[in-house]
Amino acid sequence: MTIPVVKLVTWQQAHDLYNNHHGWLQKWLYRRLGNTFDAADIAQDVFMRVLTRRQPSQIHEPRAYLSSIARGLVVDHWRRRELEQVWLEILAVLPEPETPAPESRLIFLETLIEIDRVLDSLKPAVRTAFLLAQIDGLTCSQIAKHLDVSVATVERYIAKALRQCYALHFEA
Amino acid sequence: MTHPSVDQENLPQTASLPENIIEAAITWSIRLDYNDPTPETRQSFDQWLHADPLHRLAWQRVDSLNNLRNDCRSLPSRLAFDTLQEVDSRRQSRKLSRRNAMKLLSLAGITIATGWIVREHTPWQRLLADASTVTGEQRVLHLTDGTVVVLNTDSAVSFDLTEAQRLIVLQRGEMHITTGPDSEVSARIGRKRPFRVHTPFGELQALGTRFVVRLDEQHARVSVQEGAVELHPSAGGSSAIVQAGESRRLTGSSILPAADRYFEEDGWVSGVIAGKNIRLADLVAELSRYRPGYIVCDERVADLPISGIFHVKDTDKALQFLAQTQPVSVMYRTRFWVIVGPKSLYR
Repeated sequence: MTIPVVKLVTWQQAHDLYNNHHGWLQKWLYRRLGNTFDAADIAQDVFMRVLTRRQPSQIHEPRAYLSSIARGLVVDHWRRRELEQVWLEILAVLPEPETPAPESRLIFLETLIEIDRVLDSLKPAVRTAFLLAQIDGLTCSQIAKHLDVSVATVERYIAKALRQCYALHFEA
Repeated sequence: MTHPSVDQENLPQTASLPENIIEAAITWSIRLDYNDPTPETRQSFDQWLHADPLHRLAWQRVDSLNNLRNDCRSLPSRLAFDTLQEVDSRRQSRKLSRRNAMKLLSLAGITIATGWIVREHTPWQRLLADASTVTGEQRVLHLTDGTVVVLNTDSAVSFDLTEAQRLIVLQRGEMHITTGPDSEVSARIGRKRPFRVHTPFGELQALGTRFVVRLDEQHARVSVQEGAVELHPSAGGSSAIVQAGESRRLTGSSILPAADRYFEEDGWVSGVIAGKNIRLADLVAELSRYRPGYIVCDERVADLPISGIFHVKDTDKALQFLAQTQPVSVMYRTRFWVIVGPKSLYR
C-alpha cells in the first residue's frame, strides 16, 4: 500500500498561476494587512501551499481559490499577532523571577503559538484540562481533582485535544 | 518516558489511518503518558503495538505529539497559562460582542476604575532609581541617618545624602517616611541636616516626622502622621505647613485640601487597607494597585459603602470576602482581568 505524492499542478500551470496572479494577490493582502512585508510573506506562503497540495485538482477560478487560502492565513496572522501582544503585556507585569531569559523567549512564543492553534477549536473545559496536562505536566487524576470532575471525564477531554493535535499534524 | 521503538520500515508515511486505530493510539498515550501506568498496562500496550503495522504508524504519530508536550513543559508555567487563557478570553468576548451586541449594551455602564494602569515594560523610573518595588511588593529601607523608608507597591526612589542635606526623590508610587535623628553627622557638623523630599509636583521639607507621600497622575498627596511637613509647589508660590493628622494635595502650582479618604493613609505600611464606609469603586481601585492586570467596578455597585480590613498581600481573598459579604459578584475573566458587579448579573 503506497500512496504516491502527487504534484497536482504541472510546472507550466504553476508558472502561469504565479505570473498572472502573484501581483494581484499581494495587493489583495496589502489591503487587508496594511503592511508590505507581511503581504509579501503571506503571498509567498499561499503559493507554497498551492504548489505542495496533496490532492490534485484543476483550478478553475484561480483568484477565488488563492484568496480563500490567503484569507485563512490572514486569520492565522492576526491570531499570532494577538497572542504575541498578550504575551508581551503579561510579560511586562510578571515579577522578574518568573520571566524567561530574553534569549529563550522566542522559542517559548513559538511553542505557545503552536499550542494556541491546537486549543482554538476546543471547549473551555477541554482547553483547561489540556493546558494543565501539557504545561504543568499533571496526570489525569491530578487534573480531575483540580477541576472537580471524574478521571474518566478528564481522559475524554485529553483524548479530544490529542485528536485535534493529530488532525493538525497529520490530516491538514 | 521511553516507549519501545517503532520499526518504521515499510510503513507508508502519508497514509491516512482508520479512525478506530487513531483513537486506540490516543487511548494508549493517555494511559501511558497522562497517567501512572502499571507494568501490566505496558505489557498489553506492547501486544497492541506489535499486532499490526498500522498500530505502529498510529503510535509513532501520536507519540510524536508528545514533542509539543515536552516543549510546553519547559515553558514558564504561569506566563504560558495566563497568556493562553487571556488571549482566549479576549477572543471569546469579541465573539460575544458580535453575537450579542444588544445584551452588551446593558453592560456599557461598566467603567474601568483604575483607568487601565498602563505599565511600561520597564518603567524608566525604576531604571534610574536606587530602590524600587514591583506590583504587589513592599520594601523597608534603612538610611544611614536612621531614617526608615517603606516603599509601597510599584514604586521607585533615589537618595542623595550629603553633608549639606538629606534628599529623597520619589519617582514613582508611594512611600512612608519616618525621619531619623541623624545623630552621627549632626554631632560632627554641629547642626541637623535638612530633610527634603523631591516629587514632580514640588518639594517637601520634613520637620521631625512620620508621613506618607503618594504620587498620582495630577498631584502628590501628602499626609502627616506625626510632627509636620512643609510643602513647596514646584512652580513657586506660597508654601504651607501640614500638621499631624492632616492631608494635602501638591499640584505643582498650588496646595489644595486632599479629598476625604475613608481608609487610613498609612494602613498599607501594616499591609492593610482599613476603613469605614469606603466607596466600593475606591476600594477596588486601591486593591488593584497591588495586583497585576486590572479590576473593573460596575457603576451600579460603585457607591456601595464598605467597611473592614483588607490585606493587600492577598487581593484574591479580599475580593472573595467582598463577594461573600456584599451584594456583589466577582467574576474572573482571567487572573489579570476581574470584574466586580451586581450579584445577579453574572450568574
